[in-house]
Amino acid sequence: MATDIDLALRVRSALAEYLKRDVTTIKPADALRNDLGLDSLTTIELLYRIEAEFNVEVPDADLPGLVTVADVTAYLQRRVTQA
Amino acid sequence: MRRHQAQGPESYRESRGSHEKSALRPRTVVTGLGVVSALGVGVRQFWEAARAGRSGVSKLSAFESMPMEAFRSQVAGQVHDFSVGHYIDGPLAERVDRFAQFAMVATKEAVADSGLQLDREDPRRVGVMMGAGMGGMLIAEQEYHRVYENLKPNRVVPNFIPQVTLNSASGALAIMCGAKGPNVTISTACSSSAHAIGLAREAIRAGRADVVIASGADASIVPLTFAGFCSLRALSTTFNDSPARASRPFSRTRDGFVMGEGAGTLILESLDHARKRDAYIYAEVAGYAATNEAHHMVVPREDGLEIAHTMSMALRNARVRPAQVDYINAHATSTPIGDVVEIKAIRHVFRRRATQVAINATKSLLGHTLGAAGALAGIVCALTIDAGLIHPTLNYDDPDPDCALPGISARAQERPVGVALLNAFGFGSNNATVVFKRYLT
Repeated sequence: MATDIDLALRVRSALAEYLKRDVTTIKPADALRNDLGLDSLTTIELLYRIEAEFNVEVPDADLPGLVTVADVTAYLQRRVTQA
Repeated sequence: MRRHQAQGPESYRESRGSHEKSALRPRTVVTGLGVVSALGVGVRQFWEAARAGRSGVSKLSAFESMPMEAFRSQVAGQVHDFSVGHYIDGPLAERVDRFAQFAMVATKEAVADSGLQLDREDPRRVGVMMGAGMGGMLIAEQEYHRVYENLKPNRVVPNFIPQVTLNSASGALAIMCGAKGPNVTISTACSSSAHAIGLAREAIRAGRADVVIASGADASIVPLTFAGFCSLRALSTTFNDSPARASRPFSRTRDGFVMGEGAGTLILESLDHARKRDAYIYAEVAGYAATNEAHHMVVPREDGLEIAHTMSMALRNARVRPAQVDYINAHATSTPIGDVVEIKAIRHVFRRRATQVAINATKSLLGHTLGAAGALAGIVCALTIDAGLIHPTLNYDDPDPDCALPGISARAQERPVGVALLNAFGFGSNNATVVFKRYLT
């Protein structure tokens, strides 16, 4: 099982790759929409990539809880642990 | 290319027939051009190759993993080595299908060519009329594969629907240009962007816009679409080993069209608007007609009478007599039936003049670019009027007696062109003719 730190880095790296930014510029507290500039469509595209990266499916009902990078990391941590 | 400045009074009084009152209506002129084609990206590259009679048709290379021998036709007019990032910065261009990328690149060139400063225009007076026959076929095939072969419907990319829709290109053009005026996508297969030009003119004449971006694009050289045209027995198959000879309109040995891809954009503007900013004017868009044969989904009426009617309507709309027409950019796809029918219609409308009018087939150079064909033909009409040069019809080395007219030539013809006709016909029995005139004050 991935450690929290590994997983957090993987999430930030996936974001950095999608946004074509340096991974060090992406902070856990960053809000996907307000801080990272994602809109409703690009947020979903990011999650599409994360689903593939972590081999999980994110149900529609879980989307509203994924506001910040840290939210996404915590969510994936739960899902990966459950798996 | 010659360039001349707009001068003289803006409006002219026009009688629009006995059932309509005379009215002052804005004239529509062409002030900018842009091209993405198998003969190059950019009007200069395209026009130099067209004048020289070079072919853009090559051995099909677009299907990476497909066994090409499984396809009956193996040639196409492909835009090679196209990367949108080379022409346009920013995420929008990367997030649309190849056909919309073509439209964006052609439009960027056309806007620059026109000299318009779009950020200084009233955005609600700038429109987009876009012709697209097939739409986002590249992304469509990619995602069909995920659903049907990989059985992973949840892995269809989120941006699929915004890319595959036919109006994705006109939406992208509006966003790129800040154009908030009338924005319509016309899809009538191979005549789509001829209608885009005609309807752009009508929007200007109706006073709904000062500037309309008239564009056409398609990029559907993908296995499914290509196989579909093969199955329809519509494509050339006997010149697979000599691709440059495959598109041969009016030739006795023609055996079907060659699929092409690309985009063309014309900036249409009211004459008043063009004059105020001292714009260069390539030509005037003087008339337009749209009809349907109500006959057959694929095959035109053999007597050509509906096509003849379409041309006559457009000429009347332009207040031009057949005897004034110098040049016809024929639809001429290189199919056995289509070329004969079009020439029959031309003979019917022009009578003796049919032996004097110059005619060429842009599809002999590019193959058939489907939704882009009308716009690219419109660009050729504007450049032909501007330059007084009619590009060669490639492979017209063995004229079909049923198509042969003295005005068709395998060589470039230098002659002044005052009035040019653009013919475009589409599946679904659809016909369009647009009339261009040299701009005179």
